[in-house]
Amino acid sequence: MPWVLAAYGVTGVVLVGYALYLRAARGAALRDQQRRS
Amino acid sequence: MVTAAVMLSVVAALAWLLWLAADIPGRIGTARWVGLLAVALIPVWLLLVAYYAPIEAVQGIIQKIFYVHIPAIIPTYFGFILSAIGGGLYLFTRQERWDQLAVSGAEVGVVFCTLMLVVGPIWAKPAWGQWWAWDLRLTMTLILWFIYVAYLFLRSFAFGSDTARTYTAVYGIAGVCVIPFVYFALDLAQSATMHPTNPAREGLPPEMGRTVGVGMITFIWIFAWLIARRCEVGLLQSRVLASRVGVA
Repeated sequence: MPWVLAAYGVTGVVLVGYALYLRAARGAALRDQQRRS
Repeated sequence: MVTAAVMLSVVAALAWLLWLAADIPGRIGTARWVGLLAVALIPVWLLLVAYYAPIEAVQGIIQKIFYVHIPAIIPTYFGFILSAIGGGLYLFTRQERWDQLAVSGAEVGVVFCTLMLVVGPIWAKPAWGQWWAWDLRLTMTLILWFIYVAYLFLRSFAFGSDTARTYTAVYGIAGVCVIPFVYFALDLAQSATMHPTNPAREGLPPEMGRTVGVGMITFIWIFAWLIARRCEVGLLQSRVLASRVGVA
């Protein structure tokens, strides 16, 4: 069971982590765009 | 039935992504609905894994890793093929939107390929007694991962340049040629690999087939949503870079 939880846990962390990275990158790009306009 | 649903999801996701890439700012709003669909599918998939899929007789409970390892394969291949499609369309039209699609396909494909390469050893250790073996399937998958990590490095070192866009488009089209070697590695190795056979030919019990099918559909829509978000971020970053160049 720990192996199964580890596999699904890693999947969740990778996908949620990447989604949060994209969200942060989008926010930073929007702020940069507003600062320059 | 499940195979048809998986194929339909692949075709629908590809059609939506091509439609979206043609006008990212005007159509990105539809990504919300795709995101909601993906989020709605996740609990269905997990409930099927936990309560519907039977416990396999030989491996026991650890075989449940199958339902997360196999679904990660389709977005990996899909991402790299999308990168080649986007690269080809960029070379043909020289429009930045197709370049954004190509880069997004490569990046999200690498995310799912990483997932596959991390989850695989977590399954291999309890099932086969070792984390890794240099067999043809595993080695070819690692080579595929390196090819697209190199793509992303090449891209990040020359961000915003037309030359980099052209080189990475050609590189992405060439890189996709490795996928058949990964898929058919088991046939090429003639059973001398840790993987028993390609899952599509295993003839899974119906409960297992339906569960892995729902997992594939879930991952396809998560993938499509991530591609859409990555395209949006890429476009915003490109505009910021263009404004910097304009000021300079």
